[in-house]
Parts: sequence; C-alpha cells; structure tokens
Amino acid sequence: MKISVRDVGDAKVVEVEGDVDLGTSTDLRRTLFDALPRTTRVALNLQAIRYIDSSGIATLIEVLRNSQRLNKEFVLFGLSPAVQHVFQLTHVIRIFRVFQNEQEALGAA
Amino acid sequence: MADTPHGLQMKFAMPSDPRYLPVVRGAIGPLAAAVGWDETDCRAITLALDEALANVIRHAYHNRPDGLIELECRECADGLEITLMDQGDAPDRSKICARQIGCDQPGGLGTHIIKDVMDDVSYEVSPGGNRFVARKRLRKTT
Repeated sequence: MKISVRDVGDAKVVEVEGDVDLGTSTDLRRTLFDALPRTTRVALNLQAIRYIDSSGIATLIEVLRNSQRLNKEFVLFGLSPAVQHVFQLTHVIRIFRVFQNEQEALGAA
Repeated sequence: MADTPHGLQMKFAMPSDPRYLPVVRGAIGPLAAAVGWDETDCRAITLALDEALANVIRHAYHNRPDGLIELECRECADGLEITLMDQGDAPDRSKICARQIGCDQPGGLGTHIIKDVMDDVSYEVSPGGNRFVARKRLRKTT
C-alpha cells in the first residue's frame, strides 16, 4: 500500500493505492490521525484502492469519529468498485460524506 | 455438501502473519472463478475468507505472527467449502455478529461480512484446535 499527502488550500488530500487490510490499515490510520489536527479538512481518495477489508473500514470509522471530536471535516471521494462493494456489505456508507471527485470533495462546505 | 470427484482443492499452511493475507487472496479469487462464480461473488468470497483469517490472527493468536493456520478450500458438488484450523484461543461466541449492523462502531464488522457472503458458517472447538467451516452454494442460472 502506498500513501501520500498533499496540501490543497487549507485542506489535505490523502491518496491511497493498493490493498488496505489487517497488515496495512495501521499505516493508513496513523497518516490520517496525523493529518487531521493540521488542517480543516481531510479528503481521502479511494480510487486506487484494489482491496479493502473490515479493518480498513473500521479505520475510516475511527478517523471519522476523531474528526468529529476535533471539529474537522473528513470526507471520502473516488470510491473504487472494491471499496463500494465492502461499504455495501458493511452498511456504513451512510455515516460518511462521499463525493465523486476531488473538486467536489474540497468544494463542499 | 457432498464431495465432487476430482474437484478443485487448495491447501495452505500459513503463519498468523498479516503479510501472508495477500497470498491467500491471490489464490482464492481465481479458484472461486474456476468453480463458476462471477467477479462480484469472487470478490465477496475472497473478502469473507480474508476476514476469517484476520479473525484468527487477531483473536485466536492475538496478533502473534508465529501461530499456525491451516486452510483448505474444496470444490463440492454444489459449491465451495472453506475450512480453517488453528491452535490459538477459542473464539468468543458472544462476540460473533454482536455488533449492530450499520452503526458507527469501528469493530466487529468481519463476522457480519462472513455471514452475509457465505451460506453456512460454523465454529467448532476441539482438543485438536479451533475449526471454522464456511460453505457457499453455486446457484445455477440455467
């Protein structure tokens, strides 16, 4: 799994590529928890994720809850078919703000 | 499920180390496709097996990477049977599918995924170890 972070205005865009599973989700968690206090909004691009399991989904839920505690925005965009499928199976998509692309994810107030 | 003569069969012995999960994922998807499932079902079966292995790593072996997990995937007359054996702690039955589905709690999603994807799931504890068996039937469309 590869993770990169870039600043776009006062937001941070986090890009993830590869598999998010029990072995890699802790790296994603660390990156997102580090990014949240340093910005007003974290937008996570899920387009290049080939595989995600329940530990990856649990990580996203943890980050969302932390963002709410910190009064920050945590949004998702570019859901790949693999991610959509797991969201469907776990029934948690409704708790996230999900956008089609980066422009929409950063433009939403 | 009855055996099918000369059916596909795959056996793995793997350490309880998450680094080996992609290896198993890389094998089960093509096996499910060969049995006859479409891409969406193959992805779901892969996920269910991965979740079952992750549960063994986390809960039976408490993230110790040196436990032994034995895996057998076997084509049956009407589908696929997956068996996992481990020598770790027995599963806590009170925690299986205990999480309310659709809520914003981060843990406990894996057993729901397994139950949703597979048709039959059982957990057995014996002196020889823990045994997880999951079966999925192939539904013919003709």
